[in-house]
Amino acid sequence: MISSPPFREGVKAAVPIWIAYISTSFTLGIAAKAYGLHLGEIVFMSASVFAAPAQFAALEPLASGKPALQIFLITFLINLRFLVMSAAIAPYFGRRKRSALLLSSHLISISTFILPYVHFQKQSNELAETESIEERARNNFHYFLGLAVSSFSVWVVGTGVGYWAALHVPSGFEEGLKFMLPGYFACILTAELRGKSALLIGMTSFLAAVPGALLNADWGWLITALAIGTLGWGMEEWIQRESR
Amino acid sequence: MGLVTYLIRAVPQLFFAGRSFPEAFERYLRYLSYALIASIVSTTLFLAGRRFEAAAAPHRALALAVAVLVASRTGQPLLGMLVGTLLAQTLPWLSAAW
Repeated sequence: MISSPPFREGVKAAVPIWIAYISTSFTLGIAAKAYGLHLGEIVFMSASVFAAPAQFAALEPLASGKPALQIFLITFLINLRFLVMSAAIAPYFGRRKRSALLLSSHLISISTFILPYVHFQKQSNELAETESIEERARNNFHYFLGLAVSSFSVWVVGTGVGYWAALHVPSGFEEGLKFMLPGYFACILTAELRGKSALLIGMTSFLAAVPGALLNADWGWLITALAIGTLGWGMEEWIQRESR
Repeated sequence: MGLVTYLIRAVPQLFFAGRSFPEAFERYLRYLSYALIASIVSTTLFLAGRRFEAAAAPHRALALAVAVLVASRTGQPLLGMLVGTLLAQTLPWLSAAW
């Protein structure tokens, strides 16, 4: 399989993802060190979760000993979008073995979903005469594995290297290290926020989170964020329905 | 964490393959993650445990505003973060020296 052309094609297509992953995983490693996690813990987290937003989000609650239920809930809510992605990409793999699908599903992230999904959609309109549907599905699966396995490896190794780099930062740079995680998060979020509703939800959540956390240190900010997200979405739905 | 994330990814491969979710539901999930991430940014930046870090808050807020501005203008989150980090590190030194 590793020597199959679709697998190699997937590896080549993953190069832009590697570049993005190197910087993000490196930052995650540095942030993990700043939050007092051990090298083994953050590398294990990267390998077992493989989802940047949820990993970044869990650092602070883990470091400050917040309830396990809260960490579970944050992870669940942030990663719930994988449900949609996983369901959307599955038909392109045809009738693969269940064990293979179960193993490969761990490698679905935002980046490893978007690239293959767009690639498969383009290809689905141009089925080669010599290629059967089942053959195409197998090739798709190999392409996905090539792209996802290599990206996953870069992610895990990058986290470890970032942590190692943080060990060599001299004292006196705590303020910069503390800023890196939320700063990077905010910059990524800025690129993602599209539309007035999304922007309003992001801004309101940002402003209301600290008062929420001061009211209740364990659950205040989380409940505030859920309420704002739900309310913003509900209002947008209502306005859209009224304008129809 | 890993188990929760894995189940979310694996269940559709077995049971929901090819099913499309309503657009409104997808939007709701997206908005929820925006709200959660923005809240995490805020609490991580301005709180130390249960305490609001009032003295450091203006520097960090300014560094964040510049970082976001750079990221949105250049389309490069990494560059925004680097500029913000540099500011967050140097602003307290500068104000102490003032």
